[in-house]
Order: sequence, then structure tokens, then C-alpha cells
Amino acid sequence: MKKHSFGSLAFMSLVLLVLYLPIIVVVVYSFNDNTARIPLAFTGWSTRWYDSLFEGRGGYLDALWLSVKVALWSVLISGVIGTLGAIGMTQRALDGKRRSGWFDAVMESMVTLPIMIPEIILGLAFMVIFNALGIRGNEARLVMAHVTFCVPYVFLSVKSRLVGMDQSLFDAARDLGASSARVLRDITLPLCRPAIISGSFLALAMSMDDFVISFFVYGAGEGTLPIKIYSSVKVGVSPVVNALCSLMIAAAFIFAALSRYLGAVKKARSSRNQMGLTSE
Amino acid sequence: MKKIMALILCLCLSALPLLGLAEEEKVVNILSWEGYVDEDTLNAFTEETGIKVVWSPMESIDEMLLKISQSGGEGYDLILTSDYSLDILRQEGLIQKLDKSKFTNYGNLNPTYMSQFYDPENEYVIPYVSGCTLIVYDPEKVPFEITGYEDLWNEALQDSIGTLDLDRVIIGVTLKSMGYSMNETDPEILAQAKEKLMPLYKNIRAFGDTESYAALVSGEASVGFIYASFASLLQTDAPQFQVVYPKEGIGFGIDGFVLTAASKHVDSAHAFLDYIMNPEVAAHNAEYQGYTNVNKAAEEYLSDAYWSNPAVCIPDDVMKGSEIVQDVGEAQSIYTDIYTAFKLQ
Repeated sequence: MKKHSFGSLAFMSLVLLVLYLPIIVVVVYSFNDNTARIPLAFTGWSTRWYDSLFEGRGGYLDALWLSVKVALWSVLISGVIGTLGAIGMTQRALDGKRRSGWFDAVMESMVTLPIMIPEIILGLAFMVIFNALGIRGNEARLVMAHVTFCVPYVFLSVKSRLVGMDQSLFDAARDLGASSARVLRDITLPLCRPAIISGSFLALAMSMDDFVISFFVYGAGEGTLPIKIYSSVKVGVSPVVNALCSLMIAAAFIFAALSRYLGAVKKARSSRNQMGLTSE
Repeated sequence: MKKIMALILCLCLSALPLLGLAEEEKVVNILSWEGYVDEDTLNAFTEETGIKVVWSPMESIDEMLLKISQSGGEGYDLILTSDYSLDILRQEGLIQKLDKSKFTNYGNLNPTYMSQFYDPENEYVIPYVSGCTLIVYDPEKVPFEITGYEDLWNEALQDSIGTLDLDRVIIGVTLKSMGYSMNETDPEILAQAKEKLMPLYKNIRAFGDTESYAALVSGEASVGFIYASFASLLQTDAPQFQVVYPKEGIGFGIDGFVLTAASKHVDSAHAFLDYIMNPEVAAHNAEYQGYTNVNKAAEEYLSDAYWSNPAVCIPDDVMKGSEIVQDVGEAQSIYTDIYTAFKLQ
């Protein structure tokens, strides 16, 4: 590996510092002892905000739980729809070269439309439709709306992976007698897995993050975490939110580290196996 | 395919009544800013009456109006919001008259904050708290005495004002400094106000409530044009700042509760409003939020800190010269355009 020059190291550290400084401030202030309404000064270390978080003050844990539930359902449903949609569309394009492609083109832009339409319009439209249909369950409303804007992320990610794939893999499987269901299960899905996972993570982030659509879709109730935090502007955001965000950041870091570690272990194992094979 | 669709629709429709049955519930759904009524107050109310409070947070008045006007307010019982939006809700028929015979504390309210333009006959609104916009300055750092909005344009204040960030208020005080109303709709006069407003930009150091507050506390800004709730916090964090009641007249606002026309928990909602008008509860809420108390009977429960705080305890003669920002209808787009041009300099 090439050694990094001092200049590039300094540059990288600077970029990382700028990127992570706000996060560090959030974490440090979650331990702030200052109980003023707008705690600007850091007056000492304390875990009081974590205590109030776990006592259920402000209902932030309930809001987080709702956000997580909605995000997981949305990702699950949009993962299935998006993946199958991408596979189907790619298949159509390969099968039907003789057919004119306008239908496929329209379908594809339809799929990606939800991320192009301004959120406020989508949110209002959902609210009006749900009210007209009498769909009242808050969670159901949220999941349905979130699935709509989550599908494109999975779809686009899987689609781009499939397009770059060698078609002869599938042909070979069929040639050897595999049913199309078997091809899907043993060839297509495993090959798409990284794309499905990365698309799903994007969708997860979008769902957890969404405020505008959720606000309009949501009926009476405490709301998701973003709704709760944005709505605190009038009286000031409670440091309890800092505590909660710090825990979420920690969870994200641990998750990322764990997946890197497991990935590295797996890679090492498979390369060892390969070496074993060649030496035989 | 059609059969399946029909089946799904049937299932959905048959499930509807199950979702809708919630009429006898002892619950009150309130739509407002997160944390605008102290959590402890809400819990105490539930303990006393057995009525559960479901607090639905909103971020801004505009979003609330859009949501309520599109959905008819279904699902919500009470909305706690600001004066001009109360007027819009009333004019659109989205709220209903209150039954005052259900109140025991109604007489506690201070008449100064009643019979306002949004509810001239006092039929719809229960005022919660009131707040105004004030100028604060550090006499050590500002070389002259500030008495009104006009002084904000003074060249000595270059890059030293922290201000709230709301089109109607900023343009409103510009109009006030020119001797007009904050609710001017004449395009001609608004064009003049734009001319006047533009050079103010070079005096402004920070925009936004929290940003300005931080700039004032750290000493980055020596003058603030801020909400009274922040000015009252400043009394403890940075007592060197002096509060000015601008001589052109202060702008103030009242936040109040209204009962939606679609409310399904009318009795619970009235019980909640009655609780809010209880003198001790009202005194606690005003002090907790740092706003001006609107409950006459609550005055004996207010602390000395409240009475000695010029940001919340506004003299009556100052209140007489005050003005409330009202809905200006179509002219709002002119305000928005002026403010965008101002901010993009």
C-alpha cells in the first residue's frame, strides 16, 4: 500500500473533522448538566438527559419505536415490490426486444416518480385519499405512504445491478434444467443481494428521516420521531433529543463496525478455502 | 383480477366500522407545537379527570392550516395556535362555538386579551398565553440609546443585530417605523417598505430565534429583535441586556385554543380548557413558557421573577399602542417576495 503524504493526511483529517464535528457536539451536549431552556453553555457532565429519556419523558422513546416500526415494515414491503419489479422489468426488456419500449419507459418513470414529486404534494395527496377512503389507522397510513417513496430506491439499485449482469448465467441455468422459480431463487436473488441490501438501507434512512409526508399522513397522535423533533422549534429542542440521537449514532457505528468485521472474517475464510483448493 | 379487487375492497370496507368506534373515549386530541403545554400539566390533568391527552405535534402554522383545511380537522379536538390562524380557522368554519356553561374558570381570563379581531364576541377562543416582539440591547456596547425600530437602521449597528426570522414581523416593523400599520396591503406602500428594508441587512448579524439568542449571549450581537420568550430567558443568561418597548408601538400576539368543528370529544375538550384556565395552572404555564399571562386570577400566583421581568410583564399603556399581525390574504405573496429579496442580498 502506498504511503500517504502529510498533505493528503492533513486534508483528510480536516474533511473528517468538519463532517463529524456536529455529531461530536450533539454527543457532548447530551451529557450537558445545564438545565436552562436553551442550554448554550456546557456546565458539567451529567447523565440526566439519558435518565429522563428512559423514564419516558416527552414520549421520545415511543416516537422512536413508531419510527422504527414504520421504517422496518416499509423497507420489507418496498424491498419485495422493488426487487420483483426490477427483475420483472429487466426480464421484459430482454424477452421482448421486438416490442416497442414505450410501455417500459413509462413504467420506469412511474416507479421513480414518488422521489421526484415535491414531498408536500405527495403528503397532501395521501392525506386526502386516506381520508376519502376512511383509512384511519395511523401506522397503516404511514407504512403505505412510506412504501411509495421507498420502492424507487430499491428498484433503481437492483435494476442497475441486473442490467450490468451477464445474461448467459440465467440462460445456462435454464439450459441445465432449472425452473424459472429456481433460477430466481438460486441465481438472480443471490446475485442481487448486495443491491437489495444497499437499496433497503437507503430506503430505511429515507423512511426514518421523513417529516413532511409523515406529518400530513399522520392523524391524531404523538407522531414519529422527526415530527416530534421538528415540532419542538417553538419551545426549543430538549436535550433529551441529544441523548436519543447519541444513542442512535452509537447504534449505527456499532452496526457498521460489526458488518465490516463480519465481512472481513468471511472474506478471510473464503480466501483461505481457495488457497486450500489450489494447493491440493 | 376484478374479483380479487372487489374482494379486497369489501374486506377494507367491512373493517372500517371497527376502526371508527371511539366515541365514548375519555380522551382529548390536541394539535400544537411540541412541548407548548408542560408535560407535567398534562399529566396532572389526566390524573385529576381521567381524561387522556394525546398531543399531536405540528411544526408550523402554515402546515397546520393546510392539514386542517384539507382534512376538515377530523381526529383533532383542540388546536392551540396563533391569533391570525385562529381567524382563518374561524372564517373557514373549521371550529365550533364553545359552551361556556361548562366552564367554571372562564371568568378568570383577563379582558385585555379577549374580544380580539379573531373572535370579537368571545365565542370560539380560549387565550393561552401572549407574547410580543421586543428590542433588547447592551448599553455598554451600543453608543446611543435605542428607543424604537427606527434605531435599528443606525449605521453604528453594522453587523450587530440578532433578529427573529419571520417575513411578516420584519416587514411589519419596517412599516411601523414609517408610520404605517403592520398589516398594510397597499402594494405602493409595501414597495416603499421594501426600499426602506433593504439596507437593514448589513446591520444584521444573525437570523433565527436560537441563533440570535446564542449570538446575544456570547456577545457577538449587541442588539436583538426577538420574541419576548427569548428576551425573558435573556434576563437570566445575560442580564446586561436592556429591554426596549419600541416607541412606534409593540407587535404582539396571542396563542389560544379552539375546538374543531369535527371534534368527537367535546366534553373532554371543555374539561381540558377549564383546567387550563385554573389560576394556578395558568400561572405555571405562563412562567414555564416565558410568555405573558392572560389570566387575571392567576396574577396572585405569579412569582416575583415574573413581575420584575420587563419582557413578559408589559405595562398597560404599552399594550394600548400594540398591534397584532393579521392575515393579509392575497398580499401575503408581496410580503414573501419582499422578504426573499431581502434575505438573498
